[in-house]
Amino acid sequence: MAILELRDVSKSFGSGARRVDAVREVTLDVDRGEVVALEGPSGSGKTTLLALAGALLTPTDGSICVDGDDITNYGARARTRYRRDRVGFVFQGSNMVPFLTARENLLVVGQFGGVDRSALRRRADELLDQLDLTPVRDQVATSLSGGERQRVAIARALMRDPSLLLVDEPTASLNFELGSRVVDALLSEVHSRDKACIMVTHDDRMAQRADRLVEIRDGRILDDRPLP
Amino acid sequence: MLALTEIRRRKLQFGFVTGVVALIAYLIIMVTGLGLGLYEAAGTALLRLNGDHLAYAANSNLSVIRSRLSDQDVAEVQALPAAERAAPIGYVAAVIEFAPEESDTAAIIGVIPGSFSEPGVVEGRSISGPGDILIDRAWVRVAGTRVGDTLALPVGFETREFTVVGIVDQGYFFFQPAMFVDLASWRDLVFIGDANQQPAASLVLIQGRDLDGVRGEGWRIVTKQDGFNNIEGVQAQQSTVDALRYMGLLIGAMVIGVFFYVITLQKVSLLGILKAIGAPGGYLVVQGLLQVLIVCVVGAVLAVGLALLTEATVLSSDTIPIDFTANAMATSSISVVIAGVVGSLLSARQVASVDPIIAMQQQ
Repeated sequence: MAILELRDVSKSFGSGARRVDAVREVTLDVDRGEVVALEGPSGSGKTTLLALAGALLTPTDGSICVDGDDITNYGARARTRYRRDRVGFVFQGSNMVPFLTARENLLVVGQFGGVDRSALRRRADELLDQLDLTPVRDQVATSLSGGERQRVAIARALMRDPSLLLVDEPTASLNFELGSRVVDALLSEVHSRDKACIMVTHDDRMAQRADRLVEIRDGRILDDRPLP
Repeated sequence: MLALTEIRRRKLQFGFVTGVVALIAYLIIMVTGLGLGLYEAAGTALLRLNGDHLAYAANSNLSVIRSRLSDQDVAEVQALPAAERAAPIGYVAAVIEFAPEESDTAAIIGVIPGSFSEPGVVEGRSISGPGDILIDRAWVRVAGTRVGDTLALPVGFETREFTVVGIVDQGYFFFQPAMFVDLASWRDLVFIGDANQQPAASLVLIQGRDLDGVRGEGWRIVTKQDGFNNIEGVQAQQSTVDALRYMGLLIGAMVIGVFFYVITLQKVSLLGILKAIGAPGGYLVVQGLLQVLIVCVVGAVLAVGLALLTEATVLSSDTIPIDFTANAMATSSISVVIAGVVGSLLSARQVASVDPIIAMQQQ
């Protein structure tokens, strides 16, 4: 069953001669327990597609459904709630809150409301343990290694138990070995927790570890195939 | 709470801003204290007189120094039906030597002993006649004079001994500690010689209603507050101090505003990330304003501490007319906090306007 459904989604920026069509009539489904690698050159529309799925942008045309709910025309508050409760983001370069510890970076999502704080603390400890981060849980984010930061970012994305994970270049700043460990951790969490995941990557070696590979060029899907 | 954690973890950055806020608040407290001190020194002795109105000589332009009333003027004012009570008072400045080769100026106010114009004493007794003098606490602090001591006041080319019979808490007049003598002695201090040339009084202190603006041929009546406001230099002095205070608050608001605006600009990408992972804009604005509030309150508290320390050390000599009252400190501190919050509204707007899409643009 598809958690994320994009139907003829387009996104343009600017108008007239300056109009840029970043995403053109994209139709894409991502099922529960599935990791879709989104691959393409710079400027092909990968990140824009991710931002549309995460309600950071609204589409110019088409519709986006998550868990059967049409989020296309959500207002600002509804989009904020959607991002808080139903989507987990892992950004390029991890993007931790620099003055918080690893554990506090997980707990910060509890400050935005709508969750039981004590349950959140238990979940944070559980995720830190699962991602081998317990030894560094009280270290400030700036003192963590690149791999540790990315694993903290994955843990943070899973804190509210979202059905959809959106991951942008998770291994861009890591060497192959560290990158593999991060992707392994991500795949393990998605499969064991039955999430849907889109992972944008430039790195074909990482993309090949996903369940499906979608290639995108000039805002259009060029190829969409399952991986062995 | 994110705001508090950031302050705790970035002590140097927030400590620096708090220090700047403390210095601004300290400056404003000092200027406010100076305004109060000057106001007090200008003529609290006049304000504390037990009356509502004052009658001045018509040609004095409401100057206590120039006002000279005749016996007839005083009698006319006293006869006014609206004047429940009226008593003549006199003013003259006198240089008093209180120790060998040590002298200071005092404001000598002549009153009728036993009348309502004579101030209550905080120590000793009231004036009973010529030769008695009441001195203010301010003079005691400067000269160390006590009840029972004698002071030599200039009368003509001579000096006359007055015995200190009591201490009052009337403050200053024309930046000089107030002293009270009987009206006949005051006349001698002003002009000794032909009794016909002596003025009867400088002013008439009146208790009564609806007397403001009442005039006679040689006199006019104003409220006591109007009389105070017309003391030479008071208006200009208070306007100057007020202008300094408002400028201080304006500069404070701008400095605090710029500080937090720069801090906010440094955090734009972080704010974008927090919004992208579900932080409502309102939550982040509240966190930002909370930081401003904490920094301003701590800065103001430090400034109050610094002001109290200044009062206990630098100002203990009584030579600088700065007066700190709890009310003035509280008002100044609250003003700084409000100015800081108002100044940082631009940062709040910046926080609210951060687009979470920038979280995807961190390369």
